[in-house]
Amino acid sequence: MVSTRAVASEQIYSRQALREGIVAMSKIPEVLPRSIPIPEFVIEACSYVWYHFIAVMRWLPGGRYIIEYVRKSHQDDPYRTIVEILLIIYGIIYYFSKPQQKKSLQRSKPNLTPKEIDALIEEWVPEPIVDTMVLEEQRWRLAKIPVIQHSGINNRVNLTRNNGAESFSNVLNLCSNNFLQLSSTPEVLEEARKIIKNYGVGACGPAGFYGNQDVHFNLEYELADFFGTEAAVLYGQDFCVAPSAIPAFTKRGDLIVADNHVSLSVQNALQLSRSTVYYFDHNDMESLENLLIDITESEKAEHLPATPRKFIVTEGLFHNSGDIANLPKLTALKLKYKFRLVVDETFSIGVLGSTGRGIAEHFNMERSKSIDMTVGSLATALGSSGAFVLGDKVMAHHQRIGSNAYCFSASLPPYAIKAADKVLEIMNNDNSTVQLLQKLSKQVHQMFSEPTFSKAMILTSSPFSPVIHLQLTPELRTKKFNYSKEGLFETNSDLQKKCNSVKFIEPYEKEEIFLQNIVDDLLQNDSILITRNTIVLKNETLPIAPSLKICINSGLDEREIESACDIIKTKIFEHCYSDSHN
Amino acid sequence: MSSTPATNIRVPMIPPDDLPRSVKQENEYGRLESEEHLYQVKPMKRSNQMEKPIVDTPPYYISLITYLNYLILIILGHIHDFLGMKFQKDKHADVFEHDGLAPWYSKFESFFARRMKKRIDDCFSRPATGVPGRFIRCIDRISHDLNNYFTYPGTTSMCLNLSSYNYLGFAQSEGQCTDAAIKCVEEYGLHCGGPRTQIGSSNLHIQAEQLIARFVGKDEAMLFSMGYGTNANFFNAFLDSKCLIISDELNHTSIRTGVRSSGAAVRAFKHNDMDELEKLIREQIVLGQPKTNRPWKKILIVVEGLYSMEGTLCNLPKLVELKKKYKCYLFVDEAHSIGAMGPTGRGVCELFDINPKEVDFLMGTLTKSFGAAGGYIAADKWIMDRLRMDITTASYAESVPPPVLGQVISSLMTITGELNPGEGKERLQRIAFNSRYLRLGLQRLGFIVYGCPDSPVIPMLLYCPSKMPAFSRMMLQRKIAVVIVAYPATPLIESRVRFCMSSALTKEDLDYLLRHVSEVGDKLCLKLSSGKAGVPQDGIPPRWDVEDVIARTGEDCKDDRFFRV
Ligand SMILES: Cc1ncc(COP(=O)(O)O)c(C=O)c1O
Repeated sequence: MVSTRAVASEQIYSRQALREGIVAMSKIPEVLPRSIPIPEFVIEACSYVWYHFIAVMRWLPGGRYIIEYVRKSHQDDPYRTIVEILLIIYGIIYYFSKPQQKKSLQRSKPNLTPKEIDALIEEWVPEPIVDTMVLEEQRWRLAKIPVIQHSGINNRVNLTRNNGAESFSNVLNLCSNNFLQLSSTPEVLEEARKIIKNYGVGACGPAGFYGNQDVHFNLEYELADFFGTEAAVLYGQDFCVAPSAIPAFTKRGDLIVADNHVSLSVQNALQLSRSTVYYFDHNDMESLENLLIDITESEKAEHLPATPRKFIVTEGLFHNSGDIANLPKLTALKLKYKFRLVVDETFSIGVLGSTGRGIAEHFNMERSKSIDMTVGSLATALGSSGAFVLGDKVMAHHQRIGSNAYCFSASLPPYAIKAADKVLEIMNNDNSTVQLLQKLSKQVHQMFSEPTFSKAMILTSSPFSPVIHLQLTPELRTKKFNYSKEGLFETNSDLQKKCNSVKFIEPYEKEEIFLQNIVDDLLQNDSILITRNTIVLKNETLPIAPSLKICINSGLDEREIESACDIIKTKIFEHCYSDSHN
Repeated sequence: MSSTPATNIRVPMIPPDDLPRSVKQENEYGRLESEEHLYQVKPMKRSNQMEKPIVDTPPYYISLITYLNYLILIILGHIHDFLGMKFQKDKHADVFEHDGLAPWYSKFESFFARRMKKRIDDCFSRPATGVPGRFIRCIDRISHDLNNYFTYPGTTSMCLNLSSYNYLGFAQSEGQCTDAAIKCVEEYGLHCGGPRTQIGSSNLHIQAEQLIARFVGKDEAMLFSMGYGTNANFFNAFLDSKCLIISDELNHTSIRTGVRSSGAAVRAFKHNDMDELEKLIREQIVLGQPKTNRPWKKILIVVEGLYSMEGTLCNLPKLVELKKKYKCYLFVDEAHSIGAMGPTGRGVCELFDINPKEVDFLMGTLTKSFGAAGGYIAADKWIMDRLRMDITTASYAESVPPPVLGQVISSLMTITGELNPGEGKERLQRIAFNSRYLRLGLQRLGFIVYGCPDSPVIPMLLYCPSKMPAFSRMMLQRKIAVVIVAYPATPLIESRVRFCMSSALTKEDLDYLLRHVSEVGDKLCLKLSSGKAGVPQDGIPPRWDVEDVIARTGEDCKDDRFFRV
């Protein structure tokens, strides 16, 4: 009884509403231009729609509010109703059309019969898994890799090349990245042996799952103390650190400003970062500041809901050129424009600064106040293996949760950890090795920066760098190989964009062979081993030029280096000015 | 040991235990109690290979409770956040902007870590010391203020080790492998020199690469100093945005990173679903690249041999068939299966009786079965020649250090029988027996266990997030070290504990484990299996008494009749 009465009253109410609706619709507000007459049937149709809409809405919980809303918005502005209805219709169409976008075969190619599909599949011919077109032209790169025979990477080594076809003995090794040579001291070796006898070799687990042992934790404390930061995080390999640690903190919408000469490892990091990346000219602080000003201004104009994370990324000692970033200026800029500073110190840890504490010490600055994230390597000057990141506690904590190469990879072998620990201890007590290294570096630097020599090759390294990078002068490069660094960058970017599988840039290859000839000549005739800066050009996304690398270490004899450098200079000179390549 | 607070909150260095040599050896690698406790793996019969595994599901109320559990955690977390950020601003300074700098992690991004993971942080990153062998020496720690920080009293506990990737028990501080590593320290030092293409190659590298290539059945192999880095910098050597990668949805992060940095297009297929894979391949060949609709240059299928969170194997025979049929290429990451699986430890190819030449790339890590560190990639010679120039790791990263090579070479030669003949075989047979024994034992007790019979990774399902810390802590009280994993490494409701088997364990150890797991399982209500994934399939959920299990499983586990996966 009660329910029928309720329904009846509802209907009465609805009919009343219908009248109201018609009233509402027929009372055309003033805003409508009189020149567009609305036909009667449209108004009537709308009224019916409106009536049924109300009828339906009354059944739905909360429908009353929707009616109220529609009525109100219509009264305010009838065009809005139309626009909203169109929007809803568009939304519905869009929603139902979505499955078509799912690229299922039947939908996007509906007219293909199963037979045609089979034929298409049959027809498809993939490229070979790797492209071997220019393999033979480039095979010399494999043949020229030196293989050290039966000894550590000492300063005098025996080596073979090309599967043992060539062999050389008692060669002076000017390639090693073990700049301080402290890890070959008997005390460090003894410590490593002791650890292997107590811990075995592998840690057999990632850091989160029992892979971090007391030695790992303690090296992290030691590193943090030594470099004056709050925390350190250990990684398994130097090349993987930046591409894991930087993307752990950058999301879409964040900003990165990077030097345009950073090494491939940082390039990978930028690629994986998902953020917007800008480049400033190599070590050009003015270019950086202009960029920062631009960014800050456009940000102000945008009124973002939250400040994005912003980073300046650069290197301590550049991997490809050996020069030093201008830390004081960078620090000032990052403070002024509210950026964080990330410095890849793979080559400068243990090298720069009077006690080897890196670029911050080199400029007499405090690391914790200037650099927010330092990427360092245990496999260069510290002479062990692995790598680390320095920074504040919060960053370290998040890295342990969010950095892939830390979370999803096994911890370093304990012996390597302990060896690095011992090296740090030695460095902490006695900076004579670092001082010696710097003295030797400066000496060699001086020899190669002579004006007559600079006409052939330019020395791009800083006097503090133990890695001496020598590049052909642009003039000589143009004269000999008829191309330039900028041209190379353009051609290479072009090939990358086109995804050509064959990436063979002839003048570049020729220059590489030319440099290798110098290396070969020195090895064969003078028993000196230096190396090209081996790069994988097709993966390089920034300007780069081929270079020769001479690595100094503090275990070398001063006079030995001097005479070796003399020979190297003469040989380079000869090669640069011999006419065989013109 | 200093007792000032400053050092107390740091993990102390633990001096080595002064134990007699025989005890130490026992602790690292338990002596085999009986010849009975060995099992020789046979290649799988073709008929068994194609069957889809039956996955047991828990009763509905468990799923419900699990979701509820998460809901409560999330709500509590938000209340905590709300109150904390109102009244304890200084404690939450990390998530706020300060000095014009955005926080490293915003409130939203770090919610999961702050409010959920942190509650169980005491179950992760437990510091250890010494050899992670049969036992692992865990450094005791006391948690304060909801895992805000720990203090270390300086004591240790010897725990039964079911957590380390020490499949073949090569984590040892004695024996031929340790000797080889130490010899390498003496002869070659600690440092690798630099990148492989400059100065980082020595005769040891060449030797190790040849051994690995021979072991996995490929022409050539290349070594890298980190397993993660091997994958992360591999795919960009030969793929670009006009290539397609078809990847199993459960592939390891290292693979995903590598795939992303190659720029290639990626499509994922459901874990081990070969029908979906085939459909996907067909579709993609016809459709080609998006927008341009040009055909893909190459299609690479990327799978893992043994999935480390599931214990499942890839369906290699089917993959090889599909790959041949559709002219795709195949990459198999054998991080967990190399050494640990197959009749002679040569991984999934051997287990499925498939010629390794059929797979284009075999990747693996040296961290796990070999007790060393690093990874390798093996392929045909013409491919490797090209890749040696194109893989960036070789030209930019440090190479493998000599002591690790010593360990790799000696452990590999032990497995193949060139060193200490018989020892490698025993190790392989022990891990096979142990894996099958524990798996069948757990199933009979009534636990839900995933994976294939011979898998040394044995994931046991816990479901509720709150049972994870409970299980882990109760096991630690019982001196057993286990690993718990949850979302995001697993699906949200399938939190689990992962037992990593090792040749170093004896049957007695496993009996100890079974007794305790059974007891804890009763207390935490973890025996949930419906029996549909086990044998016999009579619909009666198995709930054996633990003593019966121990008495009968030793024999039964060698019989394939009792497994059906
Ligand atoms: C499938 C897979 N690939 C690669 C890796 C990385 O290996 P590593 O720990 O040697 O870096 C792992 C480690 O967990 C893995 O499970």
